[in-house]
Amino acid sequence: MAAVLSTPIVQRITKVPPAYYVFAALLIVLSVAKPNMLNINVMGIFIRQVAPLGILVLGQLLVMRVRSIDLSAGGVILLINYFISSGLFPGVSLSFFIVLALVTGTLIGLFNGLMIGKRRVSAVITTLAVSIVLIGIVQYLSSGKPPGDVPSIFNDIYNTKLGPVPSPVIFWFALTLAMALFLSRTVFGRFVMSVGESAEAAHFSGVPVERTVILAHTMAGFIAGVAALVQTASIAVGSVRVGLDLPILAVAATILGGVVFGRGEGGVWGPFFGVLSFALLFVVMTTFGIGDPGKLIAQGLIILLAAVFYGLRTARPR
Amino acid sequence: MTATANSKEMKSPLARLLRGNRSRQGLWLVPMLIALALALVLAFRTDQFLTSENLFNLVAQAMPLVITAIGQMCVIVVGGLDLSVGSVISFTTAVLALGGPGYVLIPAVFALAALIGVTNGLAVTRLNVHPIIATLAMQYVVLGIARILRPVSGGTVPDIVIQSVGGSILGIPMPVFWGIAVILVAWKLIHGSRFGLHLFAIGGGIAAGTDDAARNFGVADKRNIVLAYVACSCFAALAGVFLAGRIVSGDPNVGLLFELDTIAAVAIGGTQLAGGIGSLHGTIIGALVLALLSNGMNLLNVSPFIQTAIKGSILLLVVGLQSRKKMGL
Repeated sequence: MAAVLSTPIVQRITKVPPAYYVFAALLIVLSVAKPNMLNINVMGIFIRQVAPLGILVLGQLLVMRVRSIDLSAGGVILLINYFISSGLFPGVSLSFFIVLALVTGTLIGLFNGLMIGKRRVSAVITTLAVSIVLIGIVQYLSSGKPPGDVPSIFNDIYNTKLGPVPSPVIFWFALTLAMALFLSRTVFGRFVMSVGESAEAAHFSGVPVERTVILAHTMAGFIAGVAALVQTASIAVGSVRVGLDLPILAVAATILGGVVFGRGEGGVWGPFFGVLSFALLFVVMTTFGIGDPGKLIAQGLIILLAAVFYGLRTARPR
Repeated sequence: MTATANSKEMKSPLARLLRGNRSRQGLWLVPMLIALALALVLAFRTDQFLTSENLFNLVAQAMPLVITAIGQMCVIVVGGLDLSVGSVISFTTAVLALGGPGYVLIPAVFALAALIGVTNGLAVTRLNVHPIIATLAMQYVVLGIARILRPVSGGTVPDIVIQSVGGSILGIPMPVFWGIAVILVAWKLIHGSRFGLHLFAIGGGIAAGTDDAARNFGVADKRNIVLAYVACSCFAALAGVFLAGRIVSGDPNVGLLFELDTIAAVAIGGTQLAGGIGSLHGTIIGALVLALLSNGMNLLNVSPFIQTAIKGSILLLVVGLQSRKKMGL
C-alpha cells in the first residue's frame, strides 16, 4: 500500500481534492442517465438550493484551516430565521434585518472564537453547545411551533435571475471569489495558512495565533449570518427545523474539497466543488429514486472516503 | 476499594508518571456536589421527588445515558470522540424489532456494534482519519441503515428484552439491577484491568502532545484505541437494548442527539476532553446531574424547550472551566 502511494503519479493524483473527481464522476453519471437534466435552467434551480450551504462552507473552511471547527451555524440560522419570521420586529425594513443577522452571526462567532482561542475549550464542544443553546432558545420562544411568514421581499430577491443564472448562485460565486482573493492576497490569509501548518511554529515566528483563531471564528460567524439570510429567503417561511444539518454538510463538503484540519490544498475552490458535488449527488440520487436513508449513507461514505484519502497520504512511516 | 486500587497502581512507574501534580481521576468532586445540591433542592421544593416511584423512574431514565456515557468516556480518555453512539442506539432498537428470537438478535446487535467500533477504531488508528470525521461519517451510515430497516418507529422487540427491563424482583424494578451490573462491569474494565490502565496511559501521552509516549512504555496503543471504540459501541448497543425494552419497539430516532448528552455527561464528570484524565464515578455522576436536571425541571414544570438551552449552557460552563494547553478541536 505504502509503496503504491509513494509513486509520483499516485502522489500527483492524490494532490487533487476528491471533490473534483466526485464532481466529474457524478456529471458523467448524470449525462448518461438523464442528459436532458443538464441544461442551465434545471441545474440553476438545483445549484440555487445549495447556495446557503456553499456560503456557509466559506466560513467552515476558514476555521478548519486553523485546525478548528464550527458546528454552531445550525443554531445561528435558526435564530436569524426566527428573528425574521416571528414578527418580533414589526414594520422594519430589509436593511434592518440584514444588519441584525450579520451582527448576530458576528457576535456568536466572536463568542466561539474567544472560548476557543482564549479559554482553549474544545471547538467541537463549544460550538455544539452554542448551537444547542440557540436551538433551545428558539424552540422556547416559539413553543416548538413554526413562527410566521418571512417578509415577501426576501423571496422576491431570491427568485431574481441575472440572465439564465439565479442571483443567489451569482452571490455565492462572488463571495467565494472574494474569499479566495482575501486568503491569497492579505496578511491574514498568510496567518491562517501558517497557523494551520503548525500553531507552535507560527507562534515562534511572530504570528498572533490566538488573534488569528478568534478572527477566523468571528468571520465564520459573520458568514453564517449571511448564509442564514439566504437560507431564510429560500424557504420563505419561519421554521424550527431549518438549517440544522447544514453545519455537518458544510464540514463534509469542506473535507471533500481538500481542506482538512490545518491542511488547505483545496484552497477555496475545492470546497466550492465539494458543495457542487453534493448538489449533483442529490440530483442523481433523486433521479434514481433513492430515498433519504440512502442519501444519509452516501453522505457518510463520501465523508469517510474523502477523509481516508487524506489520511492515507499522511500515514507514511515516520 | 479505591484506596487499594490506587496504591496498587502507584507502584507502576507508568502510572506515577501520568499522575503528575493532578489526579488522574479529574475533578469529580465538583459535579458530585452539584448533583447533591440538585437533589437537595428538588427534595425540598417538590413533594414528588423523594417518592420511590420517582426515584425508580429517575434510575430508568438515567440508565441509557449512564451506559452510553461510560463507553464515550473510554474513547475520550484515549483522546478520541465518538459521535456515532446515538445512531448505534437507534440502529440497535431497529435490529431488535426485526422480529426473531432473542437468542439470535441480542448477540447480533453486539456483534454489529463491535463491527462498527472496529471500523471507527481502524479508521482512526490505521487510516489516520480524525476521530470526529470518522465517527461523524459512521453516524450517517448507521442512521441511514437504521432508517432503511425501520423507517418509522414500530415492531416488537423480543420478550426477554421487555422482561429484563420492565420487570421487577422483590419489588425492586429491573433498571436498578441493570445499574449495579453495568457499574460493576465498567469498574472492572476501566479501573480494575490492564486495559483500563493502558487507556489512561495512551490518553495521557496524547494529551501531553507526545503521541507515542505509551508505545515507548510497551503499551500496544493502536490495538487498545480500537478496543476503546469497540467498548464504546458495545456500551451504546447495551443502552439500545435497554431503551428497546423501555419503548417495546424499534425507533430510528430514539438515539438522536445522544452523542451530545454523553459528551456533556463525560465533560461534567471531570474527564479531560483531550484525554488521559477521567474516572468512571465522575462520568456516572455527570450523567446523573443531567438526569436530575431533566427530572427536576419536569417536576417543576419547566418548559421542555428551555431545558435544552439550560443543558447547553451547563455544558458550555463546564467545559469553559476546564482550561487546556491545546487550541482548536
